[in-house]
Amino acid sequence: MKRSWPWLLALVLLSSVAFAMGSYQNDVYRKLLLWITLALGYNFLFGIAGQVAFSHFSFYGLGAYSVVIGITYLGWPLPLAILVSAVFCMAVALLVAIPATRLEGFYLALATLAFAQLFIVLLNEGGQVTGGTGGLANYRLPDMAGFRITGPAYTVVIVVLMLSTLAILLRLDRSHFGRACRAARDNPEAAAAMGVDVRRTRILAYTLTSTLAGLAGMVYAFVDNTVNPTIFGLENVFLLLFMIIIGGIGRAAGAVVGAVLLYLLPFVLSPLIGHHHALVFGLVMVLVVLFQPKGLMGVWDALMARRSQAVNSHADKDAKVQTHG
Amino acid sequence: MAEPTPLLQVRGLTRRFGGLLAVSDLDLAVYPGEILGLIGPNGAGKSTTFAMIAGAIAPSAGEIFFKGQSLSGQPTHAFAARGIVRTFQHNKPFDSMGIEENVMVGMHTQIKHGLWQVVLGTAQARASERAARDKARHWIDFVGLSDYAQAPVGTLSFGQGRLLEIARGLAAQPELMLFDEPAAGLTSAECGRLAEIIRGIAAQGIAVLLIEHDMPFLMALAQRVVVLNFGEKIAQGSPVEVQLDPAVVAAYLGQVKVGHA
Repeated sequence: MKRSWPWLLALVLLSSVAFAMGSYQNDVYRKLLLWITLALGYNFLFGIAGQVAFSHFSFYGLGAYSVVIGITYLGWPLPLAILVSAVFCMAVALLVAIPATRLEGFYLALATLAFAQLFIVLLNEGGQVTGGTGGLANYRLPDMAGFRITGPAYTVVIVVLMLSTLAILLRLDRSHFGRACRAARDNPEAAAAMGVDVRRTRILAYTLTSTLAGLAGMVYAFVDNTVNPTIFGLENVFLLLFMIIIGGIGRAAGAVVGAVLLYLLPFVLSPLIGHHHALVFGLVMVLVVLFQPKGLMGVWDALMARRSQAVNSHADKDAKVQTHG
Repeated sequence: MAEPTPLLQVRGLTRRFGGLLAVSDLDLAVYPGEILGLIGPNGAGKSTTFAMIAGAIAPSAGEIFFKGQSLSGQPTHAFAARGIVRTFQHNKPFDSMGIEENVMVGMHTQIKHGLWQVVLGTAQARASERAARDKARHWIDFVGLSDYAQAPVGTLSFGQGRLLEIARGLAAQPELMLFDEPAAGLTSAECGRLAEIIRGIAAQGIAVLLIEHDMPFLMALAQRVVVLNFGEKIAQGSPVEVQLDPAVVAAYLGQVKVGHA
């Protein structure tokens, strides 16, 4: 009980913000929350399990498309569509993970990049099922028990999604599974010698985070009420990568900070410098990689360390003054 | 008195690397609670033998039995679960984690709750996580790293890193612990401390197998020594017996080569 109140507080705070905002702000806010959700999962996959995979955003698309195809083309009720889509995302993730996790570094990156590219091709060539280049539109969230969840109420759904993703990933990170993931990344040979099944750990981490991305995609499907190949383009996964690098690789807080910063940056910069904000992105990215590989969380750690040092030396001075006095 | 049953029994162990016979038809037994030294000149096949017993490489022929069960075809990670753990000659810590977490990785095979329990945060998952942390502190204390329990791994000296390797291995509750040149790179004071720790491990009933270059260190520590040369066992016995064995003396002076040429 004691441990759940910060979560409840976060839920209430983050949800109430939605009710105070207009529909445009709500739209921005919802997408921000979704980016945070994706960045958290990608941080686990890339930052903690150390898998240089570029398929994360594709699973977001896979979740979105499959739930929409479920309720429209197949005419399923929403709960069934959600369940089947989740299982489908998991199955595809396993299918990709089993051969791909045999690969490391550069080769895993290539294999998952190929998968991401293939996904876009399939969306474009999917004919009636995927709606081709135009994608799918003209659907909306089906009523649930006579209720229609719209406006700020749907934003609450996204808040719940984001907080659940955060809670799940934090718990996994602080468990034997999180340690196994880090161990398998840091030193696979030593991890295996300690009894960690390195391959199984990698497959699990990939499948879990990809399924979480798929869930986020299902929720996204009813934000814009349209899905098309352009939305799930390859450049998005690189934005995710930038988010976790700028925030601080391997840290959930870093993923949140990075996602907030990079998602909101264009809103601040566009009125000032127009489309040149991409240039600022690139520049910030290069500077971070060169000078602060631990990202903004690294800067934060350094500041905290300096502060506690300052406090300590201050305390020392006080102590000296007292002994003199 | 009946002959005690060996914990580890190696029969006809052979490993080829292309045309090179690194280990040839080796028989070896390790008994519970004993300290067995495996020595030999460079290229004698010590490291290959070690790697096969640790499950890092598969034998070309022969079999390894542990507690009467064959380990043939078992993946590396299955060895720790069965009770065989190793240390590395060049320390291989998990750099991104603290000392405590490093040791807790050693407990991986003993954690019985599933991922769903972690996700739901069940009482069992939390209790077993707490217990794992307590046990980790115990082993950190045992090797004398208590002052560093919360420190990042990067702050440890080489010798302390070796102690961390040992704590991490012990956390797996092994019945057989393999040491790959544990004294390499340590100061003489650290070697003394290490010998004490290894004796303490054996005293708990854990069998110890070590390969070592440092002869004074090994001879003072091991109860039994097996000598390899050119992949074959040329002698075994107490440290004193082995040191007086003409075949061993010859091997170390390099005269055996003549016979093989």
